[in-house]
Amino acid sequence: MVSWCLRRVRESRDSADLAVSHPRFKKNRTLGMAPLLLASCIPLYTGAQALPKVRLFATGGTISGFAANRDMQYGYKAGSIPPAKLLADIPEAQKVADISWEEIAEVGSPGVNTQILLKLAKAVNAWLAQPDSAGAVVSHGTATMEETAYFLNLVIHSKKPVVIVGAMRPFTSISRDGPFNLYNAIRVAADPEAAGNGVMILLNEEIQAARDVTKTNTERVNTFETRDLGPIGFADEDRIVFYRRLLYKHTYQSEFNVDDLTDLPKVDIAYGYQEGGRAAVDAMIADGAKGIVLDDTSPGFAAAVKAGREKGIVFVQSDRKGSGRVLESANSGERGVVTADNLNAQKARMLLRLALTKTNDVKEIQRMFLEY
Amino acid sequence: MKPSLAVIALALLSPVLLAQEIPGAPPPAVQDQSHLPHVVIVSMGGTIASRAADRMNLTNYGGKGVPGVSPADWLHDLPELNNLAHITTVDLRNPPNSSGESFDDTFKAARELNKIAADPAVDGIVVTHGTSTMAEVAFYMNLVVKTDKPIVFVGSQRPWTGISGDGPLNLYDAVRVAASPLARDKGVLHCMNQYINTARDVTKTIGYRVQTFKGVDVGAIGFADPDKVVFYREPMRRHTTSSEFAGANFQSLPPVEIVYSYIGAPGYLIDAAVAHGAKGVVVDGTGPGHLSPSQTQAVKRVQEKGVVVVLTGRVGSGRVQQTPRNTEAKLVTGDNLPPEKARILLQLALTRTHDWQKVQRYFDEY
Repeated sequence: MVSWCLRRVRESRDSADLAVSHPRFKKNRTLGMAPLLLASCIPLYTGAQALPKVRLFATGGTISGFAANRDMQYGYKAGSIPPAKLLADIPEAQKVADISWEEIAEVGSPGVNTQILLKLAKAVNAWLAQPDSAGAVVSHGTATMEETAYFLNLVIHSKKPVVIVGAMRPFTSISRDGPFNLYNAIRVAADPEAAGNGVMILLNEEIQAARDVTKTNTERVNTFETRDLGPIGFADEDRIVFYRRLLYKHTYQSEFNVDDLTDLPKVDIAYGYQEGGRAAVDAMIADGAKGIVLDDTSPGFAAAVKAGREKGIVFVQSDRKGSGRVLESANSGERGVVTADNLNAQKARMLLRLALTKTNDVKEIQRMFLEY
Repeated sequence: MKPSLAVIALALLSPVLLAQEIPGAPPPAVQDQSHLPHVVIVSMGGTIASRAADRMNLTNYGGKGVPGVSPADWLHDLPELNNLAHITTVDLRNPPNSSGESFDDTFKAARELNKIAADPAVDGIVVTHGTSTMAEVAFYMNLVVKTDKPIVFVGSQRPWTGISGDGPLNLYDAVRVAASPLARDKGVLHCMNQYINTARDVTKTIGYRVQTFKGVDVGAIGFADPDKVVFYREPMRRHTTSSEFAGANFQSLPPVEIVYSYIGAPGYLIDAAVAHGAKGVVVDGTGPGHLSPSQTQAVKRVQEKGVVVVLTGRVGSGRVQQTPRNTEAKLVTGDNLPPEKARILLQLALTRTHDWQKVQRYFDEY
């Protein structure tokens, strides 16, 4: 199923006929979604011609998850509902944007890999480079959403809004959060005031910055938080409102480019804990890692770093506590270890992968960690 | 038990006028300060300028006969400040045994801050203040002081003499932020507990603990970390140089009162506020901004007399939205401001207009 979808990225031409003409939509109508049938009774808005053009890039996730029963909030199959059906579910969104879609993948969060990331980045860049496009929405599983969001934050070269959206409850669940999240994501992607804010994550009406947001709860709908720094705005019903301008580099200011890349350097994460040894780090290097993020400290890290540095492996020090910066000490410079600032390990990994496409120089990579 | 007894004995024996909690051995002072930025520390008092005889006295300090901590005392206790900046001080504390801070003190401080900020020799300003009302005072300065130089509000939760007092590091960090070129043009700032917050968004959330100040809804914008002062974000709402009140020298403002909402809240408090001369009323509504039926009736009565009513939400975060129902009722929605800050913005707005729709614009932009 996944490979079939990867082979066929399909684009809709006319958003108005999404709900009725797409073959996979028809196939899935047997789901028997009462709310969907009700929603489809609302007439599509066809009056305005100049609505902003927003494209949904679907990758799968819980937002398109399917379970046999509506009270099943786990045990569903992620990425089962095609994008056309996600959109047909919210005809109200047709009033705020002229919506098209592309299917990049239909996987859950853990299935997102380098190939999907690169394909997604190239597709979003191509769409935003079109003069008449307004913004992009990416549907994604929530578990690794922050990684994809930060990756896109570093490689999308546009000021146009890019909003990553997901859901904590599957498409088939009672009180599912997906439709309203998707509706709001489309509103934000269509809003010129959202431009220049980098890639944003939107769930629960909160607009979060890709660099700073993290998933904090395994299953509740208020899972996405930006510890210390907070959201940058809100998709409230009366108005979309922004309170914060970002000061680090992102999207249109970024020096990273994946246009010609078919793969990214391998970087792994070693977790630090009491009595942790060097075996994991050594194994990662043996497996081809070019960089390693040390998340907090293990007693064995010092020897592993010394050996790894001799092989040209780049190390980044992050911290597992979940907020606050890794301080820049003279010590870290001597060790040849880059400090991750306040990036968590999974985001530090993304930046290190992109940094390694440019250089192996630790000082230069430290600069990147202080700028992005 | 022996060590703790010794500590208590020491504390009791120590002269009241000496700060007790700062360990010794300050680093060597910089002799030549010519290369350092010039930071003015303005004292409006507060817990950070308070002392008690007993270092375990963390809640009942100050009072009659107990002298406060003067700016000179801070410099004496924290010689490290001289390594961060060339420091001068201005003492705006009320005389001892005065009746406490009033809005007149805020007006006076605003005039003083405008004056200091206009001095080309000054690079940044630190203002100390009691923590209970510091957020609204800082917000006022955010709207009326015309400068892009850093103005950093600071205080402490424990008195200067308290055990593990937070005052010294807070003051040290505030001076670092005020001396930082990165802190320019971000509006009036607030720095305590190593967090840098904006005056508009910061709120005191806990009575006595040191982690009390939070940027409600939208978080901090930076940190005063041990290795460096760092900013991640800047505010988008209008402030200082972009405020239309910047540089204004108010001697008084139209009176505005705050009324709380709850089950069965009576409308007569709103009538009473207006009878006493209020030109505006902030009603701190339940949930996302609901009034009691009696308050709804009272609001209609006072609106007919030309009084502007602003609606805030007592829940403590989130915006009061411009719903059709609120618009129909001619209620100005207070965005995500707490009532005490909505009051200050309404007072300023009422110096320009009494048209509720024009007042709404202030709440949308500031």
